[in-house]
Amino acid sequence: MNQMSYVPGQPPPLPPLTATFSGSRNDFFRLVSRGAAIELITLGFYRFWLATDIRRHLWVNTAVDGDSAEYTGRGKELLIGFLFAMAILVPIYLAYFLVTVEAERYEGFASVPLVIAFYAFGQFAIYRARRYRLTRTVWRGVRFWMDGSGWAYAGRAMLWTLLAVVTVGLAWPWRAAALERYKMRHSHYGNLRGDFEGRGWEFFKRAWVLWLLAPFAFVLFPLLPFVYARFKAVEWRWWLSGIRFGGVRIESDLPGNAFYGLYWKVIGWWFLLSIASSIYFGGVAALMFKLMGPVEAGQLQAQALSNNIPMLVLMGFGYIALILALNVVMRLYLVRDMWTTVLQSVQVHGIEAMADVAAKGDLASALGEGFADGLDVAGF
Amino acid sequence: MDSTSPDSESEPSAAHGPMAHGPMGGTPAEPAAAPPSGPVSGPGTYFDGLSNRRQSVTIGFANQLVMRSADNFVSWPYEDIRRVDGPSGTLRVSCLSASPLARLELRDPALAAELIARCSHIDQNSLTRGAIARIIGWSLAAAASIVAVVLVVLPVAADRLTPLVPATMERHLGEAAVVQIKTVFGDKVCSEAAGQAAFGKLVTALRKPAGLDESLTAEVLDTPIPNAFALPGGRFFLFRGLLDKADAADEVAGVLAHELGHLKHRDNLRQLIHNGGSSFLIGLLFGDVTGAGAAIFASRTMISASYSREAEEAADGFAIDVMHKLGRPTRPMGELLFRITGKEDGKPSLWASHPLTEDRLARMRAADRPASGPPLLDAEEWKALKGICR
Repeated sequence: MNQMSYVPGQPPPLPPLTATFSGSRNDFFRLVSRGAAIELITLGFYRFWLATDIRRHLWVNTAVDGDSAEYTGRGKELLIGFLFAMAILVPIYLAYFLVTVEAERYEGFASVPLVIAFYAFGQFAIYRARRYRLTRTVWRGVRFWMDGSGWAYAGRAMLWTLLAVVTVGLAWPWRAAALERYKMRHSHYGNLRGDFEGRGWEFFKRAWVLWLLAPFAFVLFPLLPFVYARFKAVEWRWWLSGIRFGGVRIESDLPGNAFYGLYWKVIGWWFLLSIASSIYFGGVAALMFKLMGPVEAGQLQAQALSNNIPMLVLMGFGYIALILALNVVMRLYLVRDMWTTVLQSVQVHGIEAMADVAAKGDLASALGEGFADGLDVAGF
Repeated sequence: MDSTSPDSESEPSAAHGPMAHGPMGGTPAEPAAAPPSGPVSGPGTYFDGLSNRRQSVTIGFANQLVMRSADNFVSWPYEDIRRVDGPSGTLRVSCLSASPLARLELRDPALAAELIARCSHIDQNSLTRGAIARIIGWSLAAAASIVAVVLVVLPVAADRLTPLVPATMERHLGEAAVVQIKTVFGDKVCSEAAGQAAFGKLVTALRKPAGLDESLTAEVLDTPIPNAFALPGGRFFLFRGLLDKADAADEVAGVLAHELGHLKHRDNLRQLIHNGGSSFLIGLLFGDVTGAGAAIFASRTMISASYSREAEEAADGFAIDVMHKLGRPTRPMGELLFRITGKEDGKPSLWASHPLTEDRLARMRAADRPASGPPLLDAEEWKALKGICR
């Protein structure tokens, strides 16, 4: 690709800049492990503050042209957004239930298409959650912001998803390109408008082999992490290289094998943690056998155990510790390490176009984040 | 996360507390207020929050923080200055009375320490240990209240709300369920004339002591599964499999009376309200914690199973009452159940939706009375009922 052609009629551009990450891995580990512990104590309610702290850590340690970004969102905003989203979702769930009943009377399982409505709602939530995060992102005293409509986005996402389903995934790159174009053209940095120049075809050229490999990977499952990691790397590189803000262009040379190590490390940890937890579960069961003494005749031991409340409690604790450890591992490798890997591949061209950007744009509410939490959807 | 500059906490901040502050930039600098120690000026980077222009400024400590550059002069009152996230080695601050995104960055540790010492409220926005303790406290209170609502309030609410649901709504629910049941089990309704007459007679006989009106509809479905279903709105289904396993009319009558008990108590609706509410409330916990789905599922299953067991026991009690009123024995029903499920000893009772069959049999045996009323069906009618699906 000729990098010059995008900024015609300007003085010779400055050499491309790299993005840097200065955060310490130990700090992040402490942050997520402490966060996981508090999340356990609070039965998950701490998630709003933990998500905020993770973002603050990542943002503030990410610097472009020597100046680091800042995340100005707060956990309390996420909590309030979640509560508002619940207040809206509860009547919707009730209405959904009543409509389901009427549809089922008419024809058995006629309500299944209604699930599609929730998919649309999830897409809306993804858009609005992105808007919240973007408006909390500040660089050099100027914030990013977004306009556009969450419902217009959801409508597009629905049509493109339908097309992707009909073509068994082959249309996915074009879906991604169209949706990114919508999102980026409605993203702004101060008075600088974003754009997206990634083409579906470019994405397709890099990913079609993976599309062919995917069915085999489901049979030969050690292949699956490779295929998925490569797909993710291709997607990231394509996405980053398409981002524009005014005359500023981002380029990424992320290699296709960039994430193999990360995914395998997660799998390795998952394996180790599973072994550790099976030893724990086995130990608890053995201990209970000892304490229970001989079991009444005719009663199977395994069945008796499943009614033993102290054991269920101990098992429950082991299980919660396991999922929290898994969450720490996943955040460390798939959030922090992936972030730094991706950042290392980034080059920023034409930063001079960003020399004097005027501040613009208002804060968006965290309602979208609340919906995304309530509907269990995630997106970037 | 407090990304502070190193050695910034060591300076006591109270030393410069009582300082006079005029309106912004109004009061002239008072040299007397300047502390004797520390640097008095140094370089900083300033962003005015209106454009992203990077401005190199010289900061000075007067009665306000002043920032000077070739073409700009800004002053911030110390008490309005707040620390915001900055990369390590950099103190980044904002000012409440300036543009919300205006930022000053100091990289010189001594200068940063001096500024921190002068600003009495610099860390007011940060999440302290106390704030985290408050979050934990409130979360525990919220979690406890969710658990209390699920265990105490929901059963009461389900009891109170059920009578408020209009009968038409309940019938709609039932009709929706009928369509589903017929899709799953096939819609072959048995209607052999003599069998149908016997079935009608049996249902009518049970309906009167049960105190239910004629809106009740009962059908026998031709499916080998030994079971019976009551649906909201007064419909119930008996499966042929149960008739095949039954040896006497009293056995089937007991099971039907049990299902009538569910209808009478509107158990379907009550369980719907209860389980819907508890699913939703338990779902509020844990949110997006990866892998927590199993914990949520397990607790939900246990709670609805325990609620269902209570309803089943109440329906058994109802069946016993009805049979007593008719002067018929209760024991045959327990025996039919036992014949179907066998001994369930040691089954994981915490997870079961019904009480153990042997416990139910024991209860029916204990309540058994010798027959004092006329048989519900004569031998001929019983034979016809057995053959209703022919």
